Amino acid sequence: MIVKFWTWLRYLLFRKGRQELDDEMQFHLDELITTKMRAGVSETEARRQALIEFGSLDATREGCEEQRPGWWAGMLAHDFRYAVRGSLRNPAFSIAVIVTLMLGIGSSAAVFTVVDKILFRPLPYGDAGRLVSVGLVAPIEPQEFMLGGSYYEWQDNQKPFVAMTSEAGVEPCDLTEVNPMRLDCASVENNFLPTLGITPVVGRNFLPSEDRPNAPKVALISYGLWRTRFNRDASIAGKFIRIDGKATEIVGVLPAGFEMPRLQAADVLLPESLDVAAQRRADPGRPLWAFARLKAGVTPEQAKAQLGPPFEYSLRLAPAPFRKEVHYTVRPLRDRQFHDVHRAAWILLGLVMAVLLIAFANVASLLAARRAGREHEMAVRAALGASRLRLLQATIMESLVLSAMGAVAGVLLATALLRVFVAIAPGGMPFLSAAKIDGRVLFFTLSIGLLSALGFGVISGLGRTQANVLTSRSALGTRRARLRQVLVTTQIAVSLVLLAGGALLARSFWNLQRQTLGMNYENVLTATISLGQTAYPTAERRMAFFEQLQRNLRWGPGVTAVAMSDSLPPGGYHRDQIYASLRVEGQPRFASGTGGNVAWRWVTPEYFRTLNIPLIKGSGFTDDEVASANRFVVLSRSLAEQMFAGENPLGRQVHLASGAPADQDPAYTVVGVAEDVKNGGLAAGEEPEYYRLRRDREEDWDRGAVVLVKSSLPAATMERWMREQVASLDPALPLEVGTLRERIAKLADQPRFEMLLVGHFAFTGLVLAIIGLYGVTSFLMVQRKPEVGIRMALGASKRDIVRLVLASAMRMVLPGAIAGLTLAFGLSQILSSLLFNVGPHDAATFCGSTLVLMAAAVIASLIPAIAATRVDPNSTLRVE
Amino acid sequence: MATPTDLLQGTLDLLILQTLALEPMHGWGIAQRIQQVSEDVLHIGQGSLYPALYRLEYKGWIKSEWGNSESNRRAKFYKLTATGRKRLEAERASWDRLSAAIGLVLSKRMEVS
Repeated sequence: MIVKFWTWLRYLLFRKGRQELDDEMQFHLDELITTKMRAGVSETEARRQALIEFGSLDATREGCEEQRPGWWAGMLAHDFRYAVRGSLRNPAFSIAVIVTLMLGIGSSAAVFTVVDKILFRPLPYGDAGRLVSVGLVAPIEPQEFMLGGSYYEWQDNQKPFVAMTSEAGVEPCDLTEVNPMRLDCASVENNFLPTLGITPVVGRNFLPSEDRPNAPKVALISYGLWRTRFNRDASIAGKFIRIDGKATEIVGVLPAGFEMPRLQAADVLLPESLDVAAQRRADPGRPLWAFARLKAGVTPEQAKAQLGPPFEYSLRLAPAPFRKEVHYTVRPLRDRQFHDVHRAAWILLGLVMAVLLIAFANVASLLAARRAGREHEMAVRAALGASRLRLLQATIMESLVLSAMGAVAGVLLATALLRVFVAIAPGGMPFLSAAKIDGRVLFFTLSIGLLSALGFGVISGLGRTQANVLTSRSALGTRRARLRQVLVTTQIAVSLVLLAGGALLARSFWNLQRQTLGMNYENVLTATISLGQTAYPTAERRMAFFEQLQRNLRWGPGVTAVAMSDSLPPGGYHRDQIYASLRVEGQPRFASGTGGNVAWRWVTPEYFRTLNIPLIKGSGFTDDEVASANRFVVLSRSLAEQMFAGENPLGRQVHLASGAPADQDPAYTVVGVAEDVKNGGLAAGEEPEYYRLRRDREEDWDRGAVVLVKSSLPAATMERWMREQVASLDPALPLEVGTLRERIAKLADQPRFEMLLVGHFAFTGLVLAIIGLYGVTSFLMVQRKPEVGIRMALGASKRDIVRLVLASAMRMVLPGAIAGLTLAFGLSQILSSLLFNVGPHDAATFCGSTLVLMAAAVIASLIPAIAATRVDPNSTLRVE
Repeated sequence: MATPTDLLQGTLDLLILQTLALEPMHGWGIAQRIQQVSEDVLHIGQGSLYPALYRLEYKGWIKSEWGNSESNRRAKFYKLTATGRKRLEAERASWDRLSAAIGLVLSKRMEVS
């Protein structure tokens, strides 16, 4: 074995001299001649016969060389040098191929990274595949939830789960110590962490005895809080901190990657501490969100089928209007987390596949064109004795070198693109900022590069290598041209699909930006304030703060109106109640179903003036009403029509939900009807709405308020002034200040992101398709140069030549455009849920995209056409 | 006439090893010897002979050195190594097995037809 290796190594390192072989063969030849002469042939004749019999010396030399160990590596190295030299010699071609691959591979790697984080991210829970989200769904809350009144019934009677747990939401809380801090506190059941498969890194989980009302206060803190606030104190367990003024024992620290299953931010976990017996009796009880771990082998569907009985129980508790509309669902936790993002992710993958397709078609047609241009060279090499396999190897090596450079450039582009994605992505795309090009993405990119190299090498190498190319005068390679034409047609079709999709989204975005919101948001500054539990323990204190602030702001520089509300249109959080729970004095209750949601807000009298919302009936709220013991309401136009159907609503009494049993709801006097305002987000429909007056009474005020200030001064000045005003009342109060315009623009982040992404891909696709068309057209022109020369010699005008070239380009473009339109027509349906006020088959958009594409195509083929007219007929005739 | 390409894969190697087992020999001699012994049936052209010799040498089964031929000219003589001799035994055994097997199959066919 060792001997064998040494032999191999010796011959690998010291190659046998070529002279030695030549001497050896010379001897052989001489012997042959001598033998023949001995048989009586003359010397000249003997030599002639021997040489014929002997055959090619070169082939033998080649044959002996091939036996050498390491011969392969040497040949590859040679091919590699040849390929690098070749691509340096033809920089325009090489750059076109590399750029095309870079765009294709770069875009796809970036998108793959993003999509990977969204669709395939490992969840930070033990055996996360078996975790499901369980709950009721209703039109007013399409994401599943639970109610305390029936949750424990589910937990007791469920069969498909190993364990079922719940969280009761996240609320702001205060760490009231030397350096006070606003934190997010999540309330969870004591079996929450074990069910999710999480163990604290320090300390322990909650005990069941700690998850009871009036139990001693305990908390688990997040890894981040442990690190920043407690300096990774290993002996933290057992120490006490003050949360909302109450001494609380830290029992443990959560692992670094911990996330709430609904992805809310949480710094502290507290036990829910619900009174289970009271919840069981309550109707509807505390809202909860339930999660469960499936038993091994049980699918979410099977689990759902087994949960019929507890659902029946929940249904019996539900108020009559809900019963018809409530369902229940069991779905993987991942689905719940990425409810809205899934679709966007798949669209993104589709886009990038389309761009990749165009890029590959481009490279294939560029290589095929080059190959046709090198037919002569290949034929010469074949004639000199290169085997077809040998030529194929060389071609593959060439495309490997180009693809490798393209892949490397692609990875660089992907890194840059990823930065851009993260920068422009809306806040709603979870985990995007954590997206990084990792090993798998590199692998993905390199395999694409490698596969493309092999594919392109084979495609361009498999053409027939005919010796007759050498003898024919002008090679009119029409057969092979067909492949390139099909590739160009495909590119045109795919890029038209992208272009149409991008144009649809752009139009939709334009519509979204231009729509009337029903209010004027110019010169309005907003400040969102949430008062802490410790500093403002009573409703009285809270009201005093807000009223003082309102008085201080009212006489500020340039201030024309000040209002306070608890939420703002057009999107985001607002309060609502179902229509069926509204009752008009003197009218029967609404009885068919829930009647949908009605939005409502707590406002102060100047709300309508600040936002310029016109009052179409009545005068709105007055200062007298603020001081009154009675309650007052302003209805939106659509709500007034729905409730009063043409009658005059002014002065009528309506009962609005108060949390008390329905028949004890207090009565509000209608004092006005305001014009409808967009309130369901930018793209969604509008809900009927009403406004309750925030009077001078504690019961009308809670922790949070949005302050609205309208002023003629610049926003930056006002912002600073407003911060000063709030700080003068309470320097420790955190607050968010910004213009209403910015707030609304933020709502358009998601559609803007979608439009920019699709636009990016549409543009990339178009550029690639045009490069492809240009490349193929100009190549065809080079091939047809002799033909053009002859035509011109026979009297064709420049105009004829241009027409000839354009016609041949259009023969590729037109079928592509038709196929693209058909495809886009079929596929645009996918986008319909992203579109606003524009149909998925909008004629203007489709015509426009087609025109843009055609214009670009004409320009791309006009350049080679004009070049073709410069052919000098004389030189052609001389060559032919 | 059988051309070298008609030889079974690997057969040429066996023939060369067998020829060299008798005495060291140069390329020309090997070709001549095979031709004689096979009673003029097997002609080994230099185009297959030399690559085969190189291959065997690279494998370490034969080795070469320059010497003087019968006609007193410088020639390269090939000679079997110890590994080569072992290899020859193995190849011969497997050849015998193979040819016996083929013979069996062919004689069966004769009986059937």
